[in-house]
Amino acid sequence: MHTFKNRLDAARHYTHNVVLIMIGEFEFLILSAAAHLGEEAYGAAMREVIETKGGRTCSLGALYITLDRLEAKGLVKTWMSAPTQQRGGRAKRMVRVTREGVRAAREFYQAVIKISSGTVWGESLRSRLPGDAV
Amino acid sequence: MGREPAQPFAWGRGMKIRGAGWRSIEAAAGLLSPGEREVVLGDLAETDRDVWRALRDVLGLAARRQLSLWRNWRPWAASLGLALPASLFLMGCSVAASADLAGALRELEQVQLLWFSLSRLLLVIAWAWMAGFVVGSVSRPTLWASLLACCVPCLYCLSEWPGQGLSHLRLLIFFLPGAWGVWRGRRETQLGLRWAILLAAIAMLTPLMWSKGGLVYGCWLLWPAWYVAATVRRKQE
Repeated sequence: MHTFKNRLDAARHYTHNVVLIMIGEFEFLILSAAAHLGEEAYGAAMREVIETKGGRTCSLGALYITLDRLEAKGLVKTWMSAPTQQRGGRAKRMVRVTREGVRAAREFYQAVIKISSGTVWGESLRSRLPGDAV
Repeated sequence: MGREPAQPFAWGRGMKIRGAGWRSIEAAAGLLSPGEREVVLGDLAETDRDVWRALRDVLGLAARRQLSLWRNWRPWAASLGLALPASLFLMGCSVAASADLAGALRELEQVQLLWFSLSRLLLVIAWAWMAGFVVGSVSRPTLWASLLACCVPCLYCLSEWPGQGLSHLRLLIFFLPGAWGVWRGRRETQLGLRWAILLAAIAMLTPLMWSKGGLVYGCWLLWPAWYVAATVRRKQE
């Protein structure tokens, strides 16, 4: 009985390890930009969000290669839109964050928040938040 | 009344890219796949990046795409595993076959010698076609690398070859059938089982027609024949 329970536990941990998809910092930025833009998420708009809100430079190469990787992991879904006049009659590569993508981004964010608590940068960020300043 | 300094149109941030700058970006985007080219050019058309950054974006993406292709075994097998060694092998075969044929044509009464020389030449042509077919079908997006791997030894040998004019071309008898094979391979033409068996037999026979060195080298280059046979079998399943 004991062995059987151990096996069950091992299986649960195994499943947990398989389902958990780790993402990197840039992947997190892309997921966040796509989530911000919602239905209007596509390459140029996401790059603008990453550069203005994230304060990072972002090349199209890095953006599209990372998007491919995220799509392969099942964290985003992309498709081609209809051509628009604004872009000289060219299509957009639209992006939508999947449920797995939301989960992966949330886990990454929680991990960063948890590990930053008690650090100099974590506390200084907290003190600058509007609610904490009062 | 102070006049504002003239700014070069389309070369600074805050302006849409047009004219020569845009044309150079479009030319660079030719390195991308058609679908991706449209998306990237569309993204650049609606942003106000400067030309240099836009060019860097396009070239960077193309370079990353090429690099990602080289994580697979296919480009390595096609360029370094086949195109490079096969060009050396086929140059030797081309010279030997053409020298044999020239000798046989001088002594036309020896029909057996003529027949032998012609069959050698046909084997070289068929082998070159098969190698080209495999190079074309194994790695289509990195054909430039295979072409480079094939041309570098050819150009080196041409520069070292003592012959003049037409005798130079004896080195490159294999080139046209090889290019034809690449063209067919790129189109993913399915080879019938009979053709695959014929080519595999030719691949086995070609090294046997030459001396010891050619035999060893040719046996090492048998893998394209097996690749052709294996692909046909899988397609028939």
